[in-house]
Amino acid sequence: MFMLEINNLTKKFGKFTALNNVNLQVKEGEVFGYIGPNGAGKTTTIRVLLGILQATSGTARIFGMDAWKDAVEIHKRIAYVPGDVNLWPNLTGGEVIDLFVSLRQKSDKAKRERLIEKFELDPTKKCRTYSKGNRQKVALIAAFASDADLYILDEPTSGLDPLMGEFFVEEVLNLKNSGKSVLLSSHILSEVERLCDRVGVIMKGNVIKTGTLDELKESAACADGRLPDSMEELFMRYYKVSEQEV
Amino acid sequence: MRGNFDYSGKLVRFMLRRERIIAAIWIIVLVLFTVALAPGLETMFPDNETRENISLIYDNPIMVSMMGPVYDIDGEYTTGTIYAGMMLLWVMIAVAVMNIFIIIRHTRADEERWRAEVIRSLPVGRLANINAAMLTALIINVILALLTGLGLALTGIESMDFAGSMLYGAVLGASGLVFAAITAVFCQLSASSSGAFGLSFLALGGSYMLRAAGDVGNEVISLISPLGLAQRSMVYAENELMPLWGLLAIAVAFTALAYKLSSMRDLGQGFIPARIGRREAKKSLLSPFGLSLRLLKNSMIVWIICMFMLGVSYGSIIGEIDRFVGDSPAYLTLVGLTPELLDTLSESDKADMIVDGFGGFVTVMMTLIALVPLLMFAMKPKNEEADGRAEGVLSRSVSRPRYLAGYVIITFIMSIIVQLCTAAGLYGMAASNETNPFVFGKMLIAYLSYLPAMWLVVGLAVFIVGVFPKVSGVIWGYYGFICFMMLIGNIPDLLPAWVANLSPFNFIPEIRVTSFDLFPAPAASFTPLIIMTAIAALLVTTGFIGYRKRDLITH
Repeated sequence: MFMLEINNLTKKFGKFTALNNVNLQVKEGEVFGYIGPNGAGKTTTIRVLLGILQATSGTARIFGMDAWKDAVEIHKRIAYVPGDVNLWPNLTGGEVIDLFVSLRQKSDKAKRERLIEKFELDPTKKCRTYSKGNRQKVALIAAFASDADLYILDEPTSGLDPLMGEFFVEEVLNLKNSGKSVLLSSHILSEVERLCDRVGVIMKGNVIKTGTLDELKESAACADGRLPDSMEELFMRYYKVSEQEV
Repeated sequence: MRGNFDYSGKLVRFMLRRERIIAAIWIIVLVLFTVALAPGLETMFPDNETRENISLIYDNPIMVSMMGPVYDIDGEYTTGTIYAGMMLLWVMIAVAVMNIFIIIRHTRADEERWRAEVIRSLPVGRLANINAAMLTALIINVILALLTGLGLALTGIESMDFAGSMLYGAVLGASGLVFAAITAVFCQLSASSSGAFGLSFLALGGSYMLRAAGDVGNEVISLISPLGLAQRSMVYAENELMPLWGLLAIAVAFTALAYKLSSMRDLGQGFIPARIGRREAKKSLLSPFGLSLRLLKNSMIVWIICMFMLGVSYGSIIGEIDRFVGDSPAYLTLVGLTPELLDTLSESDKADMIVDGFGGFVTVMMTLIALVPLLMFAMKPKNEEADGRAEGVLSRSVSRPRYLAGYVIITFIMSIIVQLCTAAGLYGMAASNETNPFVFGKMLIAYLSYLPAMWLVVGLAVFIVGVFPKVSGVIWGYYGFICFMMLIGNIPDLLPAWVANLSPFNFIPEIRVTSFDLFPAPAASFTPLIIMTAIAALLVTTGFIGYRKRDLITH
């Protein structure tokens, strides 16, 4: 059974094709890595999945329900961390966490406190004073404090320091161990390597490859058989491949 | 310390570039307003006799506390002295607001968004940014002062000579600079732009209140207030220069203080420690409706108080209004009466009729002002969406209609609250006079009868948010059109009827607010009100449907 299933999804903004016939599946209990350069269409895919944008053609289904029509029902069982966290300048971090959690379910106080402590967030400060990293922590705490079946995380660690990034990996592993499914878009290879069961690569609106990370690396190997050892290298190889194909 | 001000000049040019459109609009509107009203005043008070009426206003301490003193030349008022007495204070307040915005935009707001950091990383002096902001304000105020002075001098009104007009402009610019400098100090004290806004507006309100207290009591108190001090230049009467020097000295002193404080603090920090906020949310916040209420709450309170106070101020002059305006033709046109009609009436009926006309005029004015917060509230979900915050709520288990409904419901409730508060303030104050011309029931009906028209405009805003969010500026254009139509609406045959009928305010039945019933008003037809309410409902419904169907605005 797929938690999340995208079939031939196309999204156009006017003449610009942001997503072109995208196909993706996330299985139950799987952490799926979604990687690709900036502007490739990762965030657009996620916004279609969340019912914020409507698909031009094709289908996006979560828990077997339509991402656009059944958005409210679906959202009861998912947690989401956006890549660009925008918060209300005159609410405190603590208030926003409570608001975000309660718009889905009853909040679990112990879990909330444990996460606030772990991520070293001062929840009494107004959001206007938070740095990008702190705003991301607010969204992460709200997501991890929720009891969801599917977690959609859009570059959630781009503003965090390495230690906080480590805590993030821990929390995702916890989710994985308790059988939750995760869609993780990321730029950090080590994160993807440690967390993801399978990976999809998107370039210029096309998902050009899905498989395990090892499979991906192999298919992007150099002529001498050396595997790419960084995300940059992997991207560069795929860039060349996609340039030739598209 | 060498180099503290390095590159101020380049930054000034950069700031002026960012300011050019907004500042140009401010200057054009203020100068046009200033210059256009002078001839009107001349027609309203054509001779000494009518000008004597002005003293009646100034016998009333409430009026003096609202408007400040008006000065005479050897016991006689001129158009110039009346103009300075009625206008200077209000225009100074507008100019102060402009300056508060300029300074905060270029100092604290830029710091808050970490734009100042980028500038500071360039080889610019530590004080260059605040110095450039003050210089930018200086340049804008000087332009405003010159244009205002020249504009007034060019009206050719005898009692408004060149020296007096230039002094008027200079005092205006100088008082603007004082508030720029005071704001610059607050931008050092508070670590947030909203905090700096709050303190600056508090200072402006405080200056107004101080001079109100001083003008009716001990004049020395008025001199502490920049606004009161500025009025003491007795423009077009004595043309005193000392207040002008005083204002400039205050501006320089506050500027120096702001520089000193700025050099003592770190970028992004303030001297007032940020208050510790709530660790956990109150229950009342935890719903889409609760969130929108929380976001609009402060604004609601401020607007309700403002509308009530405006009602009170108009209520306080209502007892004098017939003696004050008398049968000035300009006023009669404004309220839609003719001298011929008045000639057929007895003195007391005439007085009643004038008050009634004035009451009707005030109702329209107040309703137009009340529409400003309503439109702001109705457009709020669009701004939340554009700033990426709506996504945070809608990616949770909240449907689009439920999210939008929070703002729409609050806006409609607010429309009823403001109309009731204005009517209450107006009636309450008028009732404290010896003679109260108003009938409460009638007044209430008059104010509530504007609700359908207000709803129609709000409905249009909801429609735009739901269906055409990218052209949301249209709603303010429509609002401007309605205001314009109210100003020129009573001039017969100026515009074809269909143009006038584009304004919903054109369909409000005339409702008397006093006991005057000599001529029954044309039988009030309430059908248009029902139709307008229906149109409003249709617009809101379409807006909701559109909002459910479209993509959210994303970047």
